[in-house]
Amino acid sequence: MQMNNLDTLPKKKILSLFMTCGFPTLSQSKKIFNEMLSHQPDVIEFGLPFSDPMADGPIIQEANKLALSSNLSTQQSLNLIKELSKSKNNTSFVIMCYLNTVRKFGVDKFIKSIKNIVDGIIIVDLPFEEESEIKKSLSKNNIHLIKLISPMTDKKRAQKLLKGSKGFIYYISATGITGSNKLDYKEINKNVKSLKKMSKIPVLVGFGIKSKKDVLEISKKTNADGVIIGSALIQKYFDLKMDINKYLIDLRKFITEVKV
Amino acid sequence: MKTYKQPSTVGRFGEFGGMYVSETLMPLLLNLDKSYKKIQKDKKFKKELNDLFKNYVGRPSSLHYAKNLSKYINGPKVYFKRDELNHTGAHKINNCLGQILLAKKMGKTRIIAETGAGQHGVATATVCALFGLPCYIYMGSKDIERQKPNVFRMKLLGATIIPVESGSKSLKDAMNEALRDWIKNVRDTFYIIGSTAGPHPYPKMVRDFQSVIGKEAREQILKVEKKLPDYLIACVGGGSNAMGLFYPFLNDKKVKIIGVEAAGRGAKTEETAATMTSGTPGILHGSYSYVLQDNDGQIKEAHSISAGLDYPGVGPEHSHLKDIKRVKYFGVTDKEALEAFQTCSKLEGIIPALEPSHALAYLMKAFKNKHKNKVVILNMCGRGDKDLFTAAKAIGFDADE
Repeated sequence: MQMNNLDTLPKKKILSLFMTCGFPTLSQSKKIFNEMLSHQPDVIEFGLPFSDPMADGPIIQEANKLALSSNLSTQQSLNLIKELSKSKNNTSFVIMCYLNTVRKFGVDKFIKSIKNIVDGIIIVDLPFEEESEIKKSLSKNNIHLIKLISPMTDKKRAQKLLKGSKGFIYYISATGITGSNKLDYKEINKNVKSLKKMSKIPVLVGFGIKSKKDVLEISKKTNADGVIIGSALIQKYFDLKMDINKYLIDLRKFITEVKV
Repeated sequence: MKTYKQPSTVGRFGEFGGMYVSETLMPLLLNLDKSYKKIQKDKKFKKELNDLFKNYVGRPSSLHYAKNLSKYINGPKVYFKRDELNHTGAHKINNCLGQILLAKKMGKTRIIAETGAGQHGVATATVCALFGLPCYIYMGSKDIERQKPNVFRMKLLGATIIPVESGSKSLKDAMNEALRDWIKNVRDTFYIIGSTAGPHPYPKMVRDFQSVIGKEAREQILKVEKKLPDYLIACVGGGSNAMGLFYPFLNDKKVKIIGVEAAGRGAKTEETAATMTSGTPGILHGSYSYVLQDNDGQIKEAHSISAGLDYPGVGPEHSHLKDIKRVKYFGVTDKEALEAFQTCSKLEGIIPALEPSHALAYLMKAFKNKHKNKVVILNMCGRGDKDLFTAAKAIGFDADE
């Protein structure tokens, strides 16, 4: 079995970049991911577009809608990820998706398609209570099921969720949907510290991280091992009036900046 | 058949239901489930709710023998369970009262809800006014356009309406936005879901609060007919009025039960809301149930003339009842529902909402010259005032004149 890149994440200052597959179009999406890959971030999260992304904010929903407007299929997204994996090197590939996408594709077929390509998967709406079956097949294929922990998750529940978990812990920094609310560093630090006592794997903070400043503050003011940036990357595309060439230049600048 | 006992402790109706939500919501739902279990045993809560049912809603709603319609159909004796006579004009208030009492008990200070036809929005705004809680209603902009009277009602009641512009701009998207609001404001907010849809414990909770309809109907029919009905008929969107009527009869094997879905322009067309006729099992809004979806699991947009039935999903309990064949589900088109809407108005002096007009249409079609000497209870779950403009437009009557 191949090595899982998530098992060799650096100890500190981990950078994970999220981007919706097929956004804004399939061919432009490839350019965007190639740009991201050229920076060799520690993790790239591939969002599989879903018509009803209820745990995501309006920016990612809009990205999903754009991607789906050209009838992008799950298979096309998976093909794209496979193609990109040829130049993944040490970058961990993680898929972020909703359960209906996996179920409809076929759980076994899905796992088979991403085996040896993808290191981890976040199924946003698959709670701990429902995960056992999928988790087993994933683990057989050396794909880590990444756990989300929210500020609402109490200690007892977090312990249950994190038992035997691998890869990293995705800590949702704001009690909010992706790309909203302000960051409360004190609360983040308190919760991250508590999580680090429960598990040895890195804790990444996501949701609401928008700038180099946010990245530095997280690193300075909290005990987190890294950050996840998603909505902010996508927002730029809309800010630049959907000009893909300008966007690619801006993306390069932004990633260079946040890669501290 | 074994005694019907659903859902399981984790919210499963057979294989359907469950809690498919992100970890931001999970602790809340588990907490809600716990609180709900607790108040179910609370006598004071029950008494408070029953008082409100009686004195605020006007329960029990009557069971009306629709003589003229029965004669017209030339089939069974048709009774209307008249939940359209409730305060606010539909069955939705039953559930809202139950949930707001629970919200109060849980110490929540802000209420959110989604609405399609506006009936649930009006009912939620009403109970919020009664209990003095701020109320935010998510409503698709398409529905705001076609349900103007209800929008005004909600505003009068002090609610803030938040138009939803995403997706199909109707009920499904309103629910997405309301769920987002809840995730963002988890600490102080209670989400009053209006249908037997969504993650556990909502489908169970809404059914329980609505089952007052069936309990009353059972007593009332036994009194007048000295027997149980042969048929129950109700319309199904998400399915709350239907579950409310059906649930207390599920163990009465001899009672045949029919759910009527909105087939829009036809169940086989792309413009339909007949989830159980045209859909397949999938996950929407945190629950596993029949949904309208494509081969990749992308949820399709539904279509129905009735905003209350314009939903691409259906409650998990209905999905289960379909699969165990306890309830049969049929589709009725916009056109058929509109005809029934007019016929009922003329024959019974009752202007039904477009939602129960679907149930009426099925009854008029399938029971015509048949099932004589049988007794049918149809759930008249809402009145048609809110639909006057939509219906006038569809029929070709200039309501502005």
